[in-house]
Amino acid sequence: MNTLAATAPQVFHEPGCAKNKGKSTSDRKKGCAKQLAPGAAAGGCAFDGAKIALQPITDVAHLVHGPIACEGNSWDNRGAKSSGSTLYRTSFTTDMNETDVVFGGEKRLFRSIKEIIDKYAPPAVFVYQTCVPAMTGDDIGAVCKAAAQKFGKPIVPVIAPGFVGSKNLGNKLAGEALLDHVIGTQEPEYTTPYDINIIGEYNLAGELWQVRPLLDELGIRILACLSGDAKYHEVASSHRARAAMMVCSKAMINVARKMEERYGIPFFEGSFYGVGDMSDSLREIARLLIERGAPAELQARTEALIAREEARAWARLAPYKERLAGKRVLLITGGVKSWSVVAALQELGVEIVGASVKKSTRRDKEKIKQLLGGDAHMIDDMRPREMYKMLAEARADIMLSGGRSQFVALKAKMPWLDINQERHHAYAGYEGMVELVQEIDKALSNPVWKQVRRPAPWGATALGVEGQATKRIAALPASRAA
Amino acid sequence: MPQNAENVLDHFELFRQPEYKEMFEKKKQFENPTADAELERVCEWTKTKDYRDKNFAREALTINPAKACQPLGAVFAAVGFEATLPFVHGSQGCVAYYRSHFSRHFKEPTSCVSSSMTEDAAVFGGLNNMVDGLANAYNMYKPKMIAVSTTCMAEVIGDDLNAFIKTAKEKGSVPAEFDVTFAHTPAFVGSHVTGYDNVMKGILEHFWDGKAGTAPALERKPNEKINLIGGFDGYTIGNLREIKRVFASMGVEYTILGDASDVWDTPTDGEFRMYDGGTTLEDAANALHAKATISMQQFCTEKTLPYIAGKGQETVALNFPVGVQATDKFLMELARLTGKPISAELAKERGRLVDAIADSNAHIHGKKFAIYGDPDLTLGLAGFLLELGAEPVHILSTNGGKAWAAKVQELFDSSPFGANCHVYPNKDLWHMRSLLFTEPVDFLIGNTYGKYLERDTGAPLIRIGFPIFDRHHHHRYPVWGYQGALNVLVWILDKIFDEMDHSTNEVGKTDYSFDIIR
Repeated sequence: MNTLAATAPQVFHEPGCAKNKGKSTSDRKKGCAKQLAPGAAAGGCAFDGAKIALQPITDVAHLVHGPIACEGNSWDNRGAKSSGSTLYRTSFTTDMNETDVVFGGEKRLFRSIKEIIDKYAPPAVFVYQTCVPAMTGDDIGAVCKAAAQKFGKPIVPVIAPGFVGSKNLGNKLAGEALLDHVIGTQEPEYTTPYDINIIGEYNLAGELWQVRPLLDELGIRILACLSGDAKYHEVASSHRARAAMMVCSKAMINVARKMEERYGIPFFEGSFYGVGDMSDSLREIARLLIERGAPAELQARTEALIAREEARAWARLAPYKERLAGKRVLLITGGVKSWSVVAALQELGVEIVGASVKKSTRRDKEKIKQLLGGDAHMIDDMRPREMYKMLAEARADIMLSGGRSQFVALKAKMPWLDINQERHHAYAGYEGMVELVQEIDKALSNPVWKQVRRPAPWGATALGVEGQATKRIAALPASRAA
Repeated sequence: MPQNAENVLDHFELFRQPEYKEMFEKKKQFENPTADAELERVCEWTKTKDYRDKNFAREALTINPAKACQPLGAVFAAVGFEATLPFVHGSQGCVAYYRSHFSRHFKEPTSCVSSSMTEDAAVFGGLNNMVDGLANAYNMYKPKMIAVSTTCMAEVIGDDLNAFIKTAKEKGSVPAEFDVTFAHTPAFVGSHVTGYDNVMKGILEHFWDGKAGTAPALERKPNEKINLIGGFDGYTIGNLREIKRVFASMGVEYTILGDASDVWDTPTDGEFRMYDGGTTLEDAANALHAKATISMQQFCTEKTLPYIAGKGQETVALNFPVGVQATDKFLMELARLTGKPISAELAKERGRLVDAIADSNAHIHGKKFAIYGDPDLTLGLAGFLLELGAEPVHILSTNGGKAWAAKVQELFDSSPFGANCHVYPNKDLWHMRSLLFTEPVDFLIGNTYGKYLERDTGAPLIRIGFPIFDRHHHHRYPVWGYQGALNVLVWILDKIFDEMDHSTNEVGKTDYSFDIIR
């Protein structure tokens, strides 16, 4: 069994990561997690990262071994949709108490696993390590091993206690857990030359379902999606896929690369966001499958589908072109979404005044640089205050962002549209692009933004409040960093 | 037996027992039943455009009216004055209605008496009832003032209130200097908002114009105070308290004319308060000297405001201000009239409201609403919905006429979200039913009676209006001011999210979208 001490550095050495390759040996040793600045606002922890990466596997019980904090705050907080089991949305935790901290929580964990097996009989139980048992020394690996033997079911330890690092590291550690304990442990009922894996897609707001019908039409089967709307059996037998697409580049690159290494499954990095990107992804999938022995006619069928769907999408987008042309958009979002949405919006004549690259890989950044023509518009790790300043200067008509930054945006009188995990609309695929544009159009035309930007109609008091805010903004330091 | 002494079932359960179900089935055949298919056909037909056209061609019949009668408004206006007993000259049955109507809405007793006219009074006139009635009311309930209004019965026979009250005073029913105001409030004219207007004007006339010739008329000596008339308002408890807070925040000296916020919200502390709070009679008289009067509901003060303006005051008429712009207008007018700046506290509340609207805008944007109710209420709510990016596609009022409809149309024209919206003056809830079937909406806003429409048409009801009988205590919350708009926003959002949950809660079918974060 791999220990955390062995796994974490291994993840840091990820050779598939372009950024990692570019580092010096000493830098690489430090790992890829940015050093957190104590006292500064920070993102989620490794546990959170592991949980969100695996929780979309719908039919397993996700048991959090720790005090109530970890599961209590993260229970069902992501909109990863399921087409079948809803067990993944049930909250399981050992809810450790003082006694467990003093005398150890292993027995409680074992009993918890037993109770889950008795009551829910899931195909597997995923056990998540958290800070407290990691510090008191509960041997989760051993408990899982014992439980797996006793109950005859896979009990998967996910060793990513919060303190080891960032959310992103947690994503990768979760991937390692899958590689170590799940992938390759079962066989699919049958295989076809058209079987693919999709890695790093979480089916948020049901996005996978907007893509799946296109693949269905081409006869391409998603053998496993890691991990959106996935079942344990699918993940366990995913090693028989012919090709893979990696969607979220930063989260599970280690999984994609190691599956290539171990099982010879080639992968490419693609995106479902934007018309052009969606088409490219379909082409790549077809290309890889044909390379691996699928009949060559797949290519022609794929091109026909792309032509048809693109025409349909553009026809539906056409009415918005006029309304959105010249609008200035600021993108504050993570990873892959930045460049894929940039391309999509530019197709509509929207001007991108800036895009965040905080969660983007070097390749992501290259793409954005290409698209935007220079790095002046790229915004790295932006603190709320700086973001506020930038927004308040009203260099954009709308901000596309996630649930945390949007509230800062609002204070700076900036319309926003949520495109991160808490959103409620699916923006993937051709259908999703139309949806996104509709939502942007709606957000821009909502009367509240006029209200938000207009000072209160009384002059004197307005100076009091508005004037002070403007002064404060002016006093802030410059905000843009490459 | 379905019912037994060991386990007595109440009405929720009893008639669902198999014995009763069977009995009902058997009874049916003796009740001239219509074949199910025919029943179904007609039901479906009532949902069509064809039926709607016939429905809207209706000339005489009113079905499910969204209005009440003048004396109801009369009582509303009267209880807002200090220790004032509303006295409705006419038959006592009507008065029982007003009392229960208010009590069911405000969950408080409503003191109100009638002159209990009977058959002989109908023939010979109600003078004796007035004489005896005033004497009894004065002696039994010890009011400081009696506000007389009328039911239809007295109006049909044409009783002259002024003369009757004079006679009663001469006969010693009440002391000569005791304040008895009067207003004719026939139910066959207008609605409860008209009755409110008439009584408000009657009370002001009484104090300002020399108490029906028994005292010299007051001479206006202008001061800096501001009068405010709330109008007939189901949220009067919360609203008037909010308005007082606004006034205090800006340091404005004011008189609220007709303040029922205390008498309809008395504490349970062992003491029965037949009268509580209200505008003092002295303030009512001195209100003449105020710099200006603001009416929060134009259509509740159509006669009162011009009367006040005639005394030399400036008047401002609003339409049940709900939302950012409507509240802005109210505060700007207040600031203009008083020369006082809008307080930082209120400016902050404004910012918070805008913030809250922006936080939730995506959920309301483009949603279609139908609204019915009193003229001013519908205007206020429609304005707020337009501000939220919603479309108030059907605005209907039974007691709103042409002038109201023109004003609503003006509001529609002011916003791109009003483009597909229509106003329906002098229509009832059966018209609304046709509208909801032929041009469905996402949500319906109205009073408790809307629950039948909700059941019938499936349009989820957001309860805002008067009366609200089947949900408790919302009248304690303001809907005016920035804080009030926040309440309205939350009520709308609550329903939107409830609906969202409701449509995604089927286990294994729709619950993939049954989310904890909305």
